[in-house]
Amino acid sequence: MSESRLLGLVASAEEHAIFIYTHRRMAITADDVSLEDIIPISLDFAVVEGKQQSDGRYEAGTPLITYKDNELELKLPFGSHSRLFLSEVNKAWSGRFFLMCSVYPPIKHLKGSIRKWRTCKHSNIFWKILGLCEMKQCHIIIDNITYETLLHEQHRASMVTPFRRSALLPGRSCNQQLYNASMDFLQSRPCEMFLSRSVLTLASLLPLPLVCASSREDRDDLVRSSSHTASNKAQILTMPQFGLRDNLIKCELLKNEDLYTYLESFSFFLGTYNVNGQTPKESLRPWLSCTLHPPDIYCVGFQELDLSKEAFFFNDTPKEQEWTKAVSEALHPDAKYALVKLVRLVGIMLIFYVKKEHAEFISDVEAENVGTGIMGRMGNKGAVSIRFRFHNSDICVVNSHLAAHIDEYERRNQDFKDICSRLQFRQLDITQPPLTIMKHNVVLWIGDLNYRISDLDVDSVKELISKKDFEALHSFDQLKRQIDEEAVFVGFEEGPINFQPTYKYDTGSDKWDTSEKCRVPAWCDRILWKGKNIKQQHYQSHMALKTSDHKPVSSLMVIGIKRVNSEAYKKTFEEIVRTIDKMENECIPSVTLSRREFYFKDVKFMQHHAETLRLFNDGQVPCQFEFIQKPNETTYCKPWLTANPPKGFIAQGGSVDIDLEVFVNRSTAPDLNCGKQQIEDILVLHLERGKDYFISVTGNYLPSCFGTSIQSLCQLREPIRDMPQSVLVTDLTVADTETAEKPLDIPKELWMMVDHLFRNAVKQEDIFQQPGLRSEFAEIRDCLDTGMPDSLPGSNHSVAEALLLFLDALPEPVVPFSFYPQCLECCSSASQCETVISLLPQCHKNVFNYLAAFLCELLKNSASNRLDVTILATIFASLLLRSPKKQVLAEKRKTQEFFQHFLATGSS
Amino acid sequence: MAKKTYDLLFKLLLIGDSGVGKTCVLFRFSDDAFNTTFISTIGIDFKIKTVELQGKKIKLQIWDTAGQERFHTITTSYYRGAMGIMLVYDITNAKSFENISKWLRNIDEHANEDVERMLLGNKCDMEDKRVVPKAKGEQIAREHGIRFFETSAKANINIEKAFLTLAEDILRKTPVKEPNSENVDISSGGGVTGWKSKCCS
Repeated sequence: MSESRLLGLVASAEEHAIFIYTHRRMAITADDVSLEDIIPISLDFAVVEGKQQSDGRYEAGTPLITYKDNELELKLPFGSHSRLFLSEVNKAWSGRFFLMCSVYPPIKHLKGSIRKWRTCKHSNIFWKILGLCEMKQCHIIIDNITYETLLHEQHRASMVTPFRRSALLPGRSCNQQLYNASMDFLQSRPCEMFLSRSVLTLASLLPLPLVCASSREDRDDLVRSSSHTASNKAQILTMPQFGLRDNLIKCELLKNEDLYTYLESFSFFLGTYNVNGQTPKESLRPWLSCTLHPPDIYCVGFQELDLSKEAFFFNDTPKEQEWTKAVSEALHPDAKYALVKLVRLVGIMLIFYVKKEHAEFISDVEAENVGTGIMGRMGNKGAVSIRFRFHNSDICVVNSHLAAHIDEYERRNQDFKDICSRLQFRQLDITQPPLTIMKHNVVLWIGDLNYRISDLDVDSVKELISKKDFEALHSFDQLKRQIDEEAVFVGFEEGPINFQPTYKYDTGSDKWDTSEKCRVPAWCDRILWKGKNIKQQHYQSHMALKTSDHKPVSSLMVIGIKRVNSEAYKKTFEEIVRTIDKMENECIPSVTLSRREFYFKDVKFMQHHAETLRLFNDGQVPCQFEFIQKPNETTYCKPWLTANPPKGFIAQGGSVDIDLEVFVNRSTAPDLNCGKQQIEDILVLHLERGKDYFISVTGNYLPSCFGTSIQSLCQLREPIRDMPQSVLVTDLTVADTETAEKPLDIPKELWMMVDHLFRNAVKQEDIFQQPGLRSEFAEIRDCLDTGMPDSLPGSNHSVAEALLLFLDALPEPVVPFSFYPQCLECCSSASQCETVISLLPQCHKNVFNYLAAFLCELLKNSASNRLDVTILATIFASLLLRSPKKQVLAEKRKTQEFFQHFLATGSS
Repeated sequence: MAKKTYDLLFKLLLIGDSGVGKTCVLFRFSDDAFNTTFISTIGIDFKIKTVELQGKKIKLQIWDTAGQERFHTITTSYYRGAMGIMLVYDITNAKSFENISKWLRNIDEHANEDVERMLLGNKCDMEDKRVVPKAKGEQIAREHGIRFFETSAKANINIEKAFLTLAEDILRKTPVKEPNSENVDISSGGGVTGWKSKCCS
């Protein structure tokens, strides 16, 4: 079975796996691909480069992958993509091997995730990949199709909508957008992905035997932990690891190149010579030094440098040095040249020299080759190429030797196309896609292109040559015809040919081929160019050289090269940086607040107050807000305050209402009553990656007997709210002084409630069992806190509940915390219980006895009020005897038992 | 490797009494503009600006703080992580100058030990209303061994110079790394300073 698949190399921190995707048609959108299988790169994994063929050689480009007991044969497309992919796989494997050797505990992540992924649809794939990957650094190499896939995937994940806008920004190359999009998509989940297209021969595609169900939780955790937040360009902009800022600047620099560059002409000498396997026998000066002035750059190409089998099979030949020497000696004598680069594929060689003074302006020199010979890839035919940057222009020189034979012009066209698509320069910045020939500002193409003269017999050809009617002859030239039909060299130019055909001569002479074949003369050796600001100064052959059956050809080109005006460059760069800084500043999340100050007036015990804070997102990006803690505080606000919701998300232009609520309960009342705390707080509203806002919350609290200690209340002869705050702070906390009046026996507020109930409610049915009304409680509270009326407002049930709330809110219960353990110990003995009570502080003892007496009075009327000892003990024991810690059930029973003694004695 | 568009990230902080012009100083530097209406900063704001110093591109992240007294305990928590602090007073406001020693104590207590400090006497365009002589500013700066500039955000006097000088002083203390790896990793400290990171972790 042989099917096309997409392959991806996915890396987590320590682990790698090959992900195999099926795809329908060319994978363009996310819908087109789905994950089929995962091959973990573990110790049992191996890649054999190429399978052994019948002749014993290994075939390149069809690596065999083995893992566990399975085999996969890959047919990778020829080219640097595949080579890069395989080298990354090998790197991954050797890294794994190293880890295993150092007894590193194996990580289950990949293995555990396999079963689920085998069946999952594509929509989840990338998230799951992300779930796998651990944060560190982001590093992506993907080819174009996969960029596209990621982009669509990202759009489906609707969380990241803001990016769409930026992805459509004009003036950026498509690749750039996709690249950014994929970066955006991957956001803060760095993973290393490396994808390559390939055709798989699936020798066997068995379920992997590595799946272990126990690690399912691991996987789920991982998937969960891949939670993501909405992203946007501003955020990405501030994340240096994604390089968006750098890319934006690079793009802008490229777009504005005209502002800081100017053209300067340089002369390029291009030469091509098919030497028919000969060694240099004569000086090459007539060819290479034919110009009046020394050219700035030399690019000299040879074909058929060595026709031996050794050269063919081992790509090794002594002639490389011989011819290089011959060239070096023949360069223009009026200047000094530096050899920058030499590249050779079997017999195809290209040498690149530059005048010494220009050498410092040459950079990014790369050489590559592509074989198009036997089996479509051997080096007897093909091309070598050198790319370089000269000042600010990118130049690519190609020397090719295309297929031979008069009828094979279509094969030559195909060779040209193969060279253009397969020849790729790996970029220094490996996050960038490889560079192809056509992406250069200037392409200079030389070589034995092998196009012939057809449809004209040999005699007519020779007659036209003798008449020097090259124009007429040119119309029979296959290359001219193919170019006219746009079948090859689209976009290239060639100068007019004013020299006789350069092939085929009897070696050592200027005589046309006299062999049996008696070949028709042809312009095999040609020089073409593509790009702006190029002028051909000459285009000629050199008859003087007789070493080969070809004549060398040369051309002098004057090319306008972009030079950088450093002043203007600096200005442009600064302008761009300023613009991007501005953009980044504008993209800092920002909100407006409806109010910055909140005043809560007359806050009372157990009374709910709320104000609304409206946040409006006036920034250019969505934002996440959260109230955060201040230093040395455990919560974002004081316990009597809440903000609801305390965190959230606001879309651009959207708003959120936050309720700021103040509620003083029994745990916060004591400190407020005595003035230790005020209604005063500052909330810090933090925007993710943005500003912080301070919100002041203030107010005045009206002290209450609720939440004030028995001791303090006994000191107060006046209503608590009539007391100035300063008196409350000092007098309530300080014990008796000699000058002070004798304290009250019991708090007057307690007396008022109990007396009210005694007078009005001893026969009240279900007293202490039915709830009161909240509004009536508020009236009772205000009444107790502000005056000493004869009777209290509200129903009996409300007064009863107020009494219970009063006892509940006491900072120190009627039986103080310190006596609690003692009470539990002696609960079974009535006399011991009484002894404990006798030891209480005076006012506490008074309150206890007063309440007990009152409850006994109630029990006398149990026929009407339907109360009994158990009910009252249950209700009051938990209020009078409170545990300083959390009360357990057994303790609760003991407190009831304790209190029952006092109710029983009273009733007897 | 691809040439990074900035090599270093410096975090700067503006502090000083309310109304001395911290926000205006920042606005002048980042946007080259001035706004006469006074809006008290109630919170923490920041802006970025990329500058070039000694051939290095430096991204400055400048934090503007609320000057009001009631926020002081909160704002001091933002000192941590700042590499440079600009302490601003108003030459027409004696109180703001008197408070300088209090602010300096705050820095000692809450900022990193090696923080680079600078004193700015702002509003120096208002010579007719001056109450703090330049010499007094110079003297207190000398006593504490820090740089001093009189600035005006309104008239654009010494603003850029002050920021660049502060950045240069920080750069001088920054260890020079290998040319290939001189990009600092700011991913861990990019967005937030102070105690936010502490309370989230």
